[in-house]
Amino acid sequence: MPKRFYINSNGRLKRKENTIYFETEQNGETAKKVLPVNDIDSIYVFGELDINTKALNYLSQYDIPIHFYNYYGYYSGSFLPRKKNVSGSLLVEQVRHYLEERERQYLAISFIEGAVFHILRNLKKNKIPEEKFEEIEKEFYPKVFETNTPEELMAVEGNIRDRYYQLFNEIIKNPDFYMKKREKRPPDNPINALISFGNSILYNTILTEIYRTQLDPTISYLHSPQEKRFSLSLDLAEIFKPFIIDPLIFSLINTKKITLKDFDKDLNFAYLNENGRKKFLKAYEERLNKTIKHRKLKRKVSYRQLIRLECYKLIKHFIGDEDYKPFKAWW
Amino acid sequence: MFVIITYDITDDRRLNKVRKVLKRYLYWSQLSCFEGIITEGKLAQCMAEIDKIIDKKEDSIYVYQVKNPKNIKKKVLGIEKSYIDNFL
Repeated sequence: MPKRFYINSNGRLKRKENTIYFETEQNGETAKKVLPVNDIDSIYVFGELDINTKALNYLSQYDIPIHFYNYYGYYSGSFLPRKKNVSGSLLVEQVRHYLEERERQYLAISFIEGAVFHILRNLKKNKIPEEKFEEIEKEFYPKVFETNTPEELMAVEGNIRDRYYQLFNEIIKNPDFYMKKREKRPPDNPINALISFGNSILYNTILTEIYRTQLDPTISYLHSPQEKRFSLSLDLAEIFKPFIIDPLIFSLINTKKITLKDFDKDLNFAYLNENGRKKFLKAYEERLNKTIKHRKLKRKVSYRQLIRLECYKLIKHFIGDEDYKPFKAWW
Repeated sequence: MFVIITYDITDDRRLNKVRKVLKRYLYWSQLSCFEGIITEGKLAQCMAEIDKIIDKKEDSIYVYQVKNPKNIKKKVLGIEKSYIDNFL
């Protein structure tokens, strides 16, 4: 399987001998590293990087996207090579499903259904007493299916998430990572910083997968597609955030792999520093590569491939082959 | 699957060509030796490219394959010349 490369140091990416070289200064010397072009899935850039069009052109030949993050680990943009997997008829169907209210609501509800399933799964796995999340399970969850507009649905989802984030404090027994309230723009404390960073990485992993299929990443159902973002990846992320990122955060904090030392002290601990970022990305990479035996395919698939399968399921739904059912971890 | 490819090529021009092909698929580990995880399809593609370059009467290429990458254990004595990592 091609690898995701995470560049944390400063340097230069260039094309040489028909492959990609990464050059970086180390103790006054230039250290070169060869990235076999056939073994690159995507590149995530956190350091200061020089890149020229020669390298970009070559990467685009191999359909390799690059995602850029700024100094604080905030997503700044992506280089997506010209899409070769395009399908007009699928695009038409995708738009039709957006325009028809019932179809749109069906998909929006499905995404939230998947999200809530994994939220409850997390709570159960972490042995939270049932009465504490009874409200989510018995009161809010059924409401999801009764909503008629995405706005209504978002409101119910907001309620569920509020309760869920409160319970973070029961799962994470570390006062340094106390969650008062989910604060996004910008995150104001370590736990919010972790969630924000994790989610933004996940968006781009999902975007890379969508990009590899015929789907158009700008047309979405739960989130309104007008925003200047690839909102379909936000839709799919709803399902995968509680499945991939949240358990990762719990284990990193509870095993003390990430402590306050991994945050920028001068910025009120609201940003991960380079070391913390590296630790997080390592764990993230491990989690994406974890495999599980798929019940239908009867073979092992990695968590990353589960994301791709979700895209295929959407395509099947759009072309009227099989109704979309959100992914629910069955183990 | 995990592969180790070693090569012994008499002519420098051909040697460089083969090295460049291998570089696009696998990771250099030491002189005349590449290694890495690769799919069967990609390996076949790589071999086809090399096949066109080498002189079959003079050169030799060995390909060691291990189906499950988990079954391989690598020990290094002395210096490790290159370390494969996707965190740069």
